[in-house]
Formats: sequence, C-alpha cells, structure tokens
Amino acid sequence: MFLIKKSEVLKLAEELSKTYAVYGPVVEKESNQTFFVRPDSIGDIDLDAPIPSQPPKHTVFPQIERIFHYSYDKGAKRAEIIADFKPEPKALFGLRSCDLNGVQCLDRFFIGQEFTDDVYLEHRKKTFIVTNTCVKPFKQCFCVCTDSGPSAREGYDLNMTDLGDEYLVEAGSDRGKALAEKMGLKKAGSGHLEAKKAVVDGSISRFESIATDNKAWISRVMNRITTGFIKGEIWEYIGNQCFECGACTFVCPSCSCFNIEDVNRKDSSTDRLRSWDSCSFEGYTRMAGDHNPRKPVEDRRNKRFFCKLSYSQSKKYLRPGCVGCGRCQWVCPGDIGLPNVVTYIRREITSR
Amino acid sequence: MNYKAGVCNFCGTGCGHILNVEGGAVNGVFALQGHPVSKGRLCVRGWHMHELLRDSQRIDSPMIKKNGRFEKAGYDEAISLVAKKLGEYKNPSSEIAFLASPRSSNEDGYLLMKLARSVFKTNNISLDSESGHRNSLNVLHRGTGMAGMLGSLEDIKKAEYILVIGTDLTRQNPIIGSEIHMAARAGSKVVTVGSKLTQIAKLSDVHLQLKPGSKKVFLAAVAKSLIEENLHDAEFIQKHTEGFDGFANSLGSLSHNDISSITGLGLEDIKTVARDLATAKTAMVFFTSGISGLDEDTVSYIYNLFVIAGKIGKEGCGVNPVTGICNLQGGYDMGLAPDLLTGFRPISDKSAAKSFSDAWGAGFPDEPGRGVYEMLADKSSGLKALVVVDHDESIVRQAEAIKKLDFVVYVGSFENPFAEYADVVIPSAAYVEYDGTYTSTDRRVQLSRKKTEPAEGVMPAWRIFTGIAEKASARWSYSSPADVMAEIAKLTPSYSGISYDRFSGVGGIQWPCDGRRPEGTRYFRVDDAASKIKLAGVTGSFKTMRPSGEYPWLLMVGKANHFWHQNNLMKRTFIPKREYNATLLLYPKGYVEISGDDAKKLQVRDRWPVNIVSQYGSMKVAVRVSDEVRSETAFVPYFIQDMITEFLLAHNELIIEQGEDAIIPIRIEKV
Ligand code: SF4
Ligand code: SF4
Ligand code: SF4
Repeated sequence: MFLIKKSEVLKLAEELSKTYAVYGPVVEKESNQTFFVRPDSIGDIDLDAPIPSQPPKHTVFPQIERIFHYSYDKGAKRAEIIADFKPEPKALFGLRSCDLNGVQCLDRFFIGQEFTDDVYLEHRKKTFIVTNTCVKPFKQCFCVCTDSGPSAREGYDLNMTDLGDEYLVEAGSDRGKALAEKMGLKKAGSGHLEAKKAVVDGSISRFESIATDNKAWISRVMNRITTGFIKGEIWEYIGNQCFECGACTFVCPSCSCFNIEDVNRKDSSTDRLRSWDSCSFEGYTRMAGDHNPRKPVEDRRNKRFFCKLSYSQSKKYLRPGCVGCGRCQWVCPGDIGLPNVVTYIRREITSR
Repeated sequence: MNYKAGVCNFCGTGCGHILNVEGGAVNGVFALQGHPVSKGRLCVRGWHMHELLRDSQRIDSPMIKKNGRFEKAGYDEAISLVAKKLGEYKNPSSEIAFLASPRSSNEDGYLLMKLARSVFKTNNISLDSESGHRNSLNVLHRGTGMAGMLGSLEDIKKAEYILVIGTDLTRQNPIIGSEIHMAARAGSKVVTVGSKLTQIAKLSDVHLQLKPGSKKVFLAAVAKSLIEENLHDAEFIQKHTEGFDGFANSLGSLSHNDISSITGLGLEDIKTVARDLATAKTAMVFFTSGISGLDEDTVSYIYNLFVIAGKIGKEGCGVNPVTGICNLQGGYDMGLAPDLLTGFRPISDKSAAKSFSDAWGAGFPDEPGRGVYEMLADKSSGLKALVVVDHDESIVRQAEAIKKLDFVVYVGSFENPFAEYADVVIPSAAYVEYDGTYTSTDRRVQLSRKKTEPAEGVMPAWRIFTGIAEKASARWSYSSPADVMAEIAKLTPSYSGISYDRFSGVGGIQWPCDGRRPEGTRYFRVDDAASKIKLAGVTGSFKTMRPSGEYPWLLMVGKANHFWHQNNLMKRTFIPKREYNATLLLYPKGYVEISGDDAKKLQVRDRWPVNIVSQYGSMKVAVRVSDEVRSETAFVPYFIQDMITEFLLAHNELIIEQGEDAIIPIRIEKV
C-alpha cells in the first residue's frame, strides 16, 4: 500500500507510458463525452470524468480488427496465411471497477475455458491495469447490486482510491508493487485503509435508492431467470420493444459476441477481420434451415438476459455477466436496458 | 483524441455519432450522448457506419472509355473532356440532364445545381427517385410557406397525441421510432394506421389495421367526424386559416357506409381518433416521405386534418414527413429539381431567378426543366448527355435508355454497376473525407467535418464541379465548402443566418435561420407565417382498389422489414448486410406474406410455393406465413430484384400512380 499526491497521480501514467501505450478516461471537447482512449498527452487523462461512454473492452477486443491475412498463389498452388497481429503492450489507467470485472468476464470467455483465443491472449497478456475507485456513483450505476464495485477487489496491478489530497495506491501484483517502489511512493498505513473504507462506504450509501433496493431484486430475478419461471408474455413484451440495433452488446463491458468476415483486398490478398456482433441480431443466432417465425425476437432478447443474469452463466464467468455499469440503459432505443428488464420481472413477481 | 463527433449519413434522422479514427482509417463508431435528437442512440445501420467507411471497393482514379474500354486518366483530362463535351450541345434544355444525389452534401448539391443551370444552361436536374418527399413539401409549402417538417424531432415527447401513418418507422428511421416509443412510455397516446401489424404498430396504444389502399378515406373520415361533432378548432381556423369551407364541403360525398366498407374500420374507431386528436393539447403526425412516399392527395388530407384540429403552428405539434435518405431534405433546399431554386422558390419567381443570375454572373433558362427519369422514359425527349452523381441502383432499371445516350458521366465514391454505362467516371471523396453540411428531416442543418484523408489524389465533389465549371470558362473561386455555404446563405432566405463558424458543439441549426431567428427555428409558428395558413386543395375522389370475385385478395407492395434503399450501401457492410439478407436466405426467390388463416385455407405452409395471379400477369413465390397481415390481404416486398421485378413491371403504371400504397387485386393458387 502506497500513497501518491493527487497533483502527482498522473506521474504514474507518465511512468507507464515508457513501456506501455497508456489508455485512460478522456473527455472529448466537442461532445463533452468521456472515452477510454489513448490521450494526445497524458495530461488529458481525467480521473474525475464520468464513467467512459464506451467500455474499455475495445482495448483488448477492438470493434474491428484484422486477425490474419492470406493470399493464394495460383501458379505455385500455394496459400499463405500470415497472422501478424502484434498488439502493443497497453496500460489501462483509471479503469472503473465495473469495467475491470467486464474484462475479467471476457478473460473467462476468451481464454478461461477449454479453448484459448490467441488474438485475445496476445492483447491481454500485455495489459497493465490501474483501477480507480468510484468515490461517488454516477447516475446510471448499480455495481453494488452486481457485486462489482465501487472499488476493485482483484485483478488489478494497482488500485487507486481518492482520499482527498492523495490517492491510496494498493498493489495487486508483483509488477504493480515494483512500479510503485520504483517511483518511490510513500508507504501507506492502516489508517489509510480505514480512510478508504470510509470512502467506499460513503460511495455505497450514495447509490440511488433504486440501486440499493434492486440489490435484493437482482438476485431474485437471477433466480427466476435461471429456473425459467418467467412468463412467456413478459419476454414477448420485452422482445416487442427491441429494435435489434445491437447497442446493448456493443456497450456492455462483458459482451463477447463477434463476427468473422473475409474481405478481399485490391492486391488480391484477403483480410480476415473480427468485429463486434450481437445476439440481438437474427443473423447471429440463426441456424441453417432452423427457422422459427413465431417468437424470434423474444428468444433472442431473453438469451441476452439469460447470459447476464443466470446462475449457469455465472458459473462460467465466476460472477454475474452483468457488472452493473448501466450503459445498456441509455443506448437502448427500446428502453429495455437491463435495469428496466429487472424492473419488469420484479413487477411480475410482485403482482402474483 | 481519436474519437471525432459527426453525423450519421444513412437516413434522414440525422443522428449524432462519433467515429474512431486511427491511422487515417475509420475503425469504429460510437453513439453521441449529447445529440439533441439521438441522445446516445444509433440504429443497426448507424452502429456499422465504420464497416461502410472501411470498404475498399472505391473508385481510385478517373477513367475514360476509349473504344469501349475504360482507361485510367488524370482529373484534368477527365474534367476537361466533360466540360468540352457538355459545352458542345446546341440545345442543352433538351439534350443535357443532371441526376443529383440525396446523399450529397448541401454544398455539393448546390454546386451541381449551379453547374447545370449557369454553366450548361439546363434546368433538367432532379434528385434520384425521391418524388414522395416532393409531394409532402408541395403540400406544406403551399399551405404554410415552410417546405419542411412543421414540427421537430426534439419535441416528440411534447406531443400528447401521435399519429403514425403507414410504414414501420422502427425499421426505416429507427431513432424516430424510438422517440415515439419513449413518448408513449412517458404517457403520449400513439396511434398507428396501416395495413400491416408492424413493430411500431405493436408498440402503439392503438393500431388501426385498415384495408390496403384506404388511408386517404380514413383521414377524410376523421376530418369529417371532427367537423360533424363540432370538434374542429373553430377559433384557430377563423383566425389563422383560409379554405376551410371548401374542404369541409368536399367531405360531403363520403358516406358512413363507404367509410366502413372501404377502410374495414368501425365508425367508433374513427370517432375516437377525431375526439382524441381534438382534445389533446398537442399532436404530431408522422409519415414516411421518400422513394415510396404518399401521394400528394393523401398528404393533403393529413395536413388538412391537422390544420382543422388546430395542431400546427405551436410547440409539440406538427405535420412531419420523414425522409429516408440523409440529405433528401437538403437536396430540395438546394434546388435540385427542374422547377426550383434554393429554399424551394420556384424558378418562375422572377425576382428570385434574377438574384441568382446576378450573383452567378450568368443566366439560365427561365422555363422549368424536366426530371431525369421522365426524360429517360420519354423516347422523344431528345436527351443526349447525362451526368449522374452517386446514386442508388434504381437507375440501372433505365439501362436501355442510358445505353442509347451519347455521353454519360458518373461521379461517385464507390465502385458501382452503373459506372459501366458511363463514358467518363470521376471518383469523389467519401463524406468523412471533407467538410459538408447535411439537412435532416427536421430541417436540421448539421456540419460533418473532415475526419480522414481521401485516397491519394481523389477530390471531393465540390472541387470536381468547380473544376468542370472553370474548364468551361466560368469563374468560380471557392477555396472550401465554407465558401460555398456563404454563397448559399446569401441566396437563400431560410439559410441566410447559417455559416460554418456558427457550427460549434453538436446538433446543428434548424432552418429557417435568419436575422429574425438567428438560433434557427424548431417548429413552424403560426405567427411566423407570411399570410394565412391555407388548407390544401383535395380531389374529393375516394376511388379505391377493391377485390373482386376473380381476384379476391388485395396485394400490397412495399418495403420489407430490413430493406433499405436497394441495399446499395448496406451490402458494403458486414452485419447490416447479413441482417438485411437474412430473409433472403430463407426465401431466396422472394415471398408473399399471407395470414395463418389464409394459409390454412390454401392448404399451404411456410415456404411452400404459390402462384400469384392478377389481371396483368402472374409469378411464383414462396409463402411466408405472418401475423402482420390480415386475411385476404397479402404483401410482397419489392426489394428482391429478380423475383418480383418482372411481375411488378407489368403493373408499373398502377404502382407509380398509387405510390406507397400500391395495391393489386390478385388471387393466390397453390402450386
Ligand atoms: S448488461 Fe448492461 S448494465 Fe450490465 S454490464 Fe452489460 S451494459 Fe452494463
Ligand atoms: S439496445 Fe435495446 S433495442 Fe438495441 S438490441 Fe439491445 S435490447 Fe434491442
Ligand atoms: S436512424 Fe438513421 S441517422 Fe440514426 S443511426 Fe439509424 S441510419 Fe443513422
């Protein structure tokens, strides 16, 4: 445990930038919207900025990415595949706790099961993670209900908590510790840990009543979803409101659906691209010839909520798939973000 | 910062987006939270803009056809050739025509218009197949003087009552559909009127599923009921409008029996609409207005209904046509029509025409020209040369007529089957490669800034048009699109307060923007009208297609769920392409939608083939059993080219005449 003066906290990022491409929360000026990006200069990183509008998952799982390219030499009858992806080492600086949990879900999906995704692994094994405790929640947040915040518990190299004039810096890995020591950070004492606890408790108490209220409800809804005790009409009601835009998936820090596309280039080689996809799309879930004209949208919708809020899925992620960031709520044209869906199901439960 | 704010350039909603620009390429797109209309939402198309912008099938060099084969050429050579060839025609008013694109920026559109008129002396300039919106603008302009949406997309939530007529906005302009859905959730009453149970219909409070082809009768019936029950806004009508008596009288011929037999609705349903519309403090009506928009008469009834209900001219109210393509509204604003100057002023307006020829230092013919499609269809039009800008593929249908022309020029960004018909092809930069403004359906002029460099040497369209003009010895001296906007503002009263330095932040400026209204105008205000609001003239004719013994079904022809503009742009994306083709995979040769009951009666199942027979022809297609259509009505989407084109061509007249609501009486036979 270390301490760093608030005015000097970006020095950590400076130091990291010697070895890593540093990403952090930056407010775009024209739109006043926060993005988790490589800043033009480290000074643009704003640790007090609202939760980034787009989750940081693009740093390890880009919106679109070439995973290899190939060409075919007709004369020699030879095909050549070149998998030349070499993501640069990245430091994610000022990651929010929910988003770290999102990255951990992606880890379990891409590299934590029987199959290992080389491209993802390549991105991931080079990431240095510095989390930033939320001293107050933002309007849409409900991480307290999904056990993913407001302060990170594991999976970081360094975790920072704003204690007023200084940040408490906790090391979660050897390299995190090494960095703090290299920078000669002052050691923190148990009093600082107490202070952090007070900050976190203060933050939790400031979650809107709906979030703390929902805490019990999310686990009850998880129970319902897992056991399939939700009426078809409820899914139909929800499904009818889905515009099939895919936004909920794109903004979700733990969603991992992807599409593979081969694109021919003018030099007659072919790029194999991977890009974000969504379970809300008909084409994503369709199986050849297996066509159900009756309830396709509902089925796709309930799949998403099953993925985010069922025990069977939680077993894969070792946590609920939803990390409580609330982003799907504000991007959804149908107004069926996850918190709303929980409310619908809750209403159904209480009306019985 | 690699994220740069901009405007989605697919449909007329004009949503804000933010593009991820890395290493000179667009590698991602994200929603813009602060945009006043889209507020952080995008639809499936908008979320995949980067897939289109990364497309490598771009035209990278000018080409000139020599002995039937294209050879690469420099810009200078290509531009000189165009200037020289077009300059040689002796009767430009019949020999030269320009087909403009509703996707071009205002600046590009304006310069093309200026090129056609002032340099090549022809008024034959029209927008690609978008007559539907013209119908709407004609009605609104004659009635109020404002040739655009009377309300604003920002104000949808302020409407207590929302009427949606026809097509499924959740698919065609999804973010407008979303705003309507959100308004409904916040307490507005949403009523949809159409012959299909679409998604927006499912989301509404009430869906009136009327018989195909009877919208006009329905609207007239509501107006009639409003007047009969004395619910019309007499004070508003008296104070602000003229033409009420004529309109009221024209409704007399409509009997209550006709109303229910033609629409299939009960009189109570119609009365409820009239009462709700009258008692709501604010109300808006939405209808699509594009390739297959409503006919002028139907739009007139919509407009008149809202005028007599006193639901225009105030906040939260309005008659709101919705454009399908990003700059369709801007295209008309820029005078891309044979008879229009900018700001929807007719060419016959002598003083307006004079201000243009004075400013341009060059005159142009005072007779209106003709539309390109009309000229191509008319074998005796005398057309010899055609300039086409970045179009959809519909023009390929005119291939035969185009092949006979003497000189064809194509200016566009992407490789395209049409380019084959051209003698000269000139590549233009894509929209993110230079500055330009686009006017979305609620008259919102938005600046889209340059974000990436075009491929080496590729020019933006405004430079190409300037180059052609200069080769033809006109003196144009624009150094940027901002200069072009300055000229537009000078010549166009409704744009007079707009200039590039006015665009900061996101959201743009809604015209009219002038000295009196420097911040722009969100909605049409009754006190702003130069004269009294006029009710639209109507035909009073309520003829509709009816089924007969031999042809007992009514076939509707329209857009399929995921159809969007011939898939011309969508097919360059990955995900939307897949989604838009999803139905095609199941029904590769197209389909006809019929109800479950009808399928039972015919003893057919989903994907079984049937014959569709009309008075004019027949075709074989697969059945798609659907809960969206009622018994004895059927639906074919017109996008699946091979399948229905021939069948529909046999009915072309019928379809053109009827617009969106093209109805064909048919019978269906099991194969
Ligand atoms: S489901 Fe919604 S609230 Fe939960 S993590 Fe994903 S985007 Fe955030
Ligand atoms: S964001 Fe909403 S409308 Fe879009 S796919 Fe997700 S649930 Fe459907
Ligand atoms: S509604 Fe139109 S403007 Fe908005 S994201 Fe979709 S295509 Fe783009």
